[in-house]
Amino acid sequence: MTANPETLTLHRQQGVVRRLLRNYSGLVGSILILLFAITGLLGAAGMTPYPPLEQHPRDRLTGPSAQYWLGTDLFGRDLTSRLMKGGANSLKVAVLSVAIATFFGTIIGITSGYLGGFFDNLIMRVMDIFFAFPSILLALLIVVVLGPGLNNTILAIAIVYTPIFARVARGPVLSLKEMEFVTAARCLGIRQWRILFRHILPNAMAPLIVQVSLALSWSLITEAGLSFLGLGTQPPEPSWGLMLSESRALAEIAPWLMFFPGLAIMLGVLGFNLLGDGLRDVLDPRMARR
Amino acid sequence: MLRYLTQRIIAFVPTLLGVAILVFLAIRLVPGDQITAMLGTEAGMLTQEQRESLEEYFGLDKPVTEQFFAWMGNALQGNFGYSVRHGKPVLSLILERFPVTLELAFLSVIIALAIGIPIGVLSAIHHNSPIDLFGRVISMLGLAVPNFLLGTLIIYVLSVYFGVLPNSGNYVEFTEDPVLNLQQLFYPALTMGFSFAASVMRMTRSAMLEVLNEDYIRTARSKGLHERTVVMGHALRNALIPVVTLIGVEMGYLLGGAVITEQIFSLPGIGRLTVNAISQREYALVQGVTLFIALNFVVINLAVDVIYAAIDPRISYDSKS
Amino acid sequence: MLSSRKRQALLAFALILALLGTSLPTMAQGGGNTLVMARAIDATGLDPHTQTAFASLALLRMIYEPLVMTDHEMNIAPALATSWEFSDDATVLTFHLREGVKFHDGSDFTAEDVIASYERILDEETASAARTNYLSIDTMEAPDDYTVVFNLSRPDVPLLSAMTSINAAILPSELIENGDPAAEAIGTGPFKLESWTPEETTILSANADWWGDGPNVDGVEIRIIPDEASILAALRAGTIDFAMLNDPLVATLLVDDPTVTLVRTPTLSYHVLQLRAAREPLDMLQVRQAIACAIDRQEIIDSATLGEGRVTGPLTMASFALPPEELFCYERDVERARELMAAAGMEDGFTLHVMVANAEPPTALSEAQAIQAQLADININVEIEPLELSVYVDRWLAGDFEAAVALNGGRTDPYTMYARYWQWDARFHRVAGYIDDTLDSLMAQGREETDPDARYEIFAEFQRHLAEKAPWVWLYTGFTYTAHQPYVTGWEPVANDSLYFLHEVQLER
Repeated sequence: MTANPETLTLHRQQGVVRRLLRNYSGLVGSILILLFAITGLLGAAGMTPYPPLEQHPRDRLTGPSAQYWLGTDLFGRDLTSRLMKGGANSLKVAVLSVAIATFFGTIIGITSGYLGGFFDNLIMRVMDIFFAFPSILLALLIVVVLGPGLNNTILAIAIVYTPIFARVARGPVLSLKEMEFVTAARCLGIRQWRILFRHILPNAMAPLIVQVSLALSWSLITEAGLSFLGLGTQPPEPSWGLMLSESRALAEIAPWLMFFPGLAIMLGVLGFNLLGDGLRDVLDPRMARR
Repeated sequence: MLRYLTQRIIAFVPTLLGVAILVFLAIRLVPGDQITAMLGTEAGMLTQEQRESLEEYFGLDKPVTEQFFAWMGNALQGNFGYSVRHGKPVLSLILERFPVTLELAFLSVIIALAIGIPIGVLSAIHHNSPIDLFGRVISMLGLAVPNFLLGTLIIYVLSVYFGVLPNSGNYVEFTEDPVLNLQQLFYPALTMGFSFAASVMRMTRSAMLEVLNEDYIRTARSKGLHERTVVMGHALRNALIPVVTLIGVEMGYLLGGAVITEQIFSLPGIGRLTVNAISQREYALVQGVTLFIALNFVVINLAVDVIYAAIDPRISYDSKS
Repeated sequence: MLSSRKRQALLAFALILALLGTSLPTMAQGGGNTLVMARAIDATGLDPHTQTAFASLALLRMIYEPLVMTDHEMNIAPALATSWEFSDDATVLTFHLREGVKFHDGSDFTAEDVIASYERILDEETASAARTNYLSIDTMEAPDDYTVVFNLSRPDVPLLSAMTSINAAILPSELIENGDPAAEAIGTGPFKLESWTPEETTILSANADWWGDGPNVDGVEIRIIPDEASILAALRAGTIDFAMLNDPLVATLLVDDPTVTLVRTPTLSYHVLQLRAAREPLDMLQVRQAIACAIDRQEIIDSATLGEGRVTGPLTMASFALPPEELFCYERDVERARELMAAAGMEDGFTLHVMVANAEPPTALSEAQAIQAQLADININVEIEPLELSVYVDRWLAGDFEAAVALNGGRTDPYTMYARYWQWDARFHRVAGYIDDTLDSLMAQGREETDPDARYEIFAEFQRHLAEKAPWVWLYTGFTYTAHQPYVTGWEPVANDSLYFLHEVQLER
């Protein structure tokens, strides 16, 4: 009989953070995400240099200065404050949508994989329908149906990502449920859901965690892309994609309006990607040596 | 192999039927209809009778289920309906626009391979050297720049600093004027190919690293073969297997996901057709295009699996696993 | 490592890529004597009697002609009719038609075509957008091939100006009976339609048989480039000769550009904050007036367009517009606005939902955001509802909104401009959300009065009354912009977005 997987998982996870920070990608990614999270939280808490929606018509389109660190936009609104609040909105969309997708996707995936048979077949066929679209197109369709806006963007991204999580979670379950410790648990009369959540899920965690990090980066890009097309976050509320889109006509006379949101998007996505890489190195021993 | 293929193709049927139903219902849930989308505020000048006659004309007066079966029946006979806006059958519109997207996807892949493979190979050979670091940073940036940002930047820099713009002209087909056609598609293809190049580079690098550690490479080296022969002849060939898979998957995305790039560079491809059809509530067109994209997508995914099996002898779909 | 041969191949490949990217043609692809133009929005159809979109009308004006048209000074001028007269009681309108005019298919233009066209417009089956403007036409007769008499059921002076619309274009009777005007464009205008590929290209050729002078170019090629920033880049790169621009922020970038000529034309259309007086608390006059007083119109112009606009009252045509200072509360007065709110018992404010169409016009969202900041000063909390255009239009038509930022089209005649809103039996009474007897009777007088001075007085009173009752808050009128290369000469646009006068343009490459 194999070692108790619960203690094994626990033991492995204790070192994860330390090992992640020792990993180059993991370290840089963590720093970027931490920075992103702090400014975002400050933005969400209203601790910005100016209120992000406050207009200063006399100071419209001024460049970066001591008064307005990153300059102002068409309404004389402070770009620094808007970037912070915009980051908070982008972060909110990314985190909530991925959380929803992870929650439902995982439940669907492991239940489907564990039960198998007809139910599994049906669920996977339904998931196939969602896999038959390129994801950006699917997100676009859903947002058009639901109507534009922050909450609907969250929902759209969550719907697109749920099948992906279901697939990622289902894979390991298929092999795990045949393993000895599960059969043993079943023989001991432990209830099904308990086996599922206490024994199988923890062992399927590693690929899920990596997937979460990649999903966050994709979610960030998608939110920005939808806002760029006018379907995501709606004005006057800021979001990085929207700010970039608004800056296009003004880029020539006010390049800072395009530069800073563009940089913010890049660093945000980079942060999640690096974190995902780091996590993969740490959690997936097969990949670790690269 | 044949059996596997048949099974997969049969599995398409419920998937595509699901796609059809989903899109059909979804587009009807969207507020606003084709008539107001077409007439604008003047739709308010229509009398009740005029409105009803227009609804009859568009087939909007029948119950949704009836509309669906009528559409499905026609679609099975190759008739995907008619686009009022374009004055053409949906199918001929799709076939007209598809080559543009196909060529764009194709060029993006070429650009991605041209950038990604050399950097990937160099990175792997000079593992952990400055060259490797440089390659990894470039690929990280490539993955972090969204298409719409890169596209916007390219247009901005080209037009403001260089006074050139590749896509202000009419789109010219390759057969008409190959040079002009390639000029028009270069920047959009670069926009889409750049992030893909980053994944190609990463994939090539990691596959190369894995292969270079394999026993047969060590054997080849110990036999005294020239390093170049080892790298190019043995290692690269095997390392490219996962890259081929990646190309296949990416092709699927490029064919339907060029929405934003086609919009920014105003290319008359499938993506722009879809976005316009959605905003104009052209039900028949949205249904036709999305079904077409979905069909493409599943067929390409199947093709990837088949090619994968063909080039990697370790995989066989006939043995039951 | 790579061999030198491989490296050379790689280098060559990189070089090819670089060449492809940079060796771009700098001349407009049309070349020769064809005018290549670009615009962001394409026509939505070809039938002049049913089309309503600005983009369609601009194109159709090049192909079709009505009996009368507006000239550069916005006066009514001869087109297919050379002269006309009203009977003294304004119930009979007689046109004398131009002789020797040919349609693009070679057939002759006669009175029969005029009658067939107006019959088609008046036929409910056609679903003509402008039909309501011509309802006073009772019967039509043609004493000879080149005279048409319209007998009216009531005096209708604005009818003549309504007839300048391209919605009253004259089609060949043959096309009406046996063809499909939605599929084929056969007009009498200066340009013939060669081909139309929606969302891509429209090709027009010069009509050699046209009755007027010109066109001076061999043809016009219209390209659709959905992103105006790209149109701007195309102008600078010299790949197009001429462009129409909608976004003032894009257009202003050309102001100081030495290589491209920007032409501003004042428009008749107006940007407006529509309040629906049918809804609480907007049913209170003081609340509406408070909103009107709290708005700083100039600041809205500055924020939304960087100053590209002019403050306006309800009427935008120069011949009738009152100076804005004469209208109610056109200077921002927050104190007075607060007093009005207090008088209505609303000093604590309320939440006002303002709906906005996405990018239609491009400035709409900016206007709403400026309004939001200004109304916050009198405790009105504005919630902006950005909607996709077709959804916005649906709700606008149903009157399903509290307030809306809108860009509404103008006409050269005040009656034609507002008949649909400010009468008891107006088609858009739900959209307007407000009506009173004074407005209705002023409109009725304006329709029947033939004396110009008396009409001016009627509509001056009409403007003062509207501004004071503040059912809507009129903001500003903008410009339409065209931009062209220096070698394009003779371009003189008119206020109705028409491309008709492209026939006067010359190319001196």
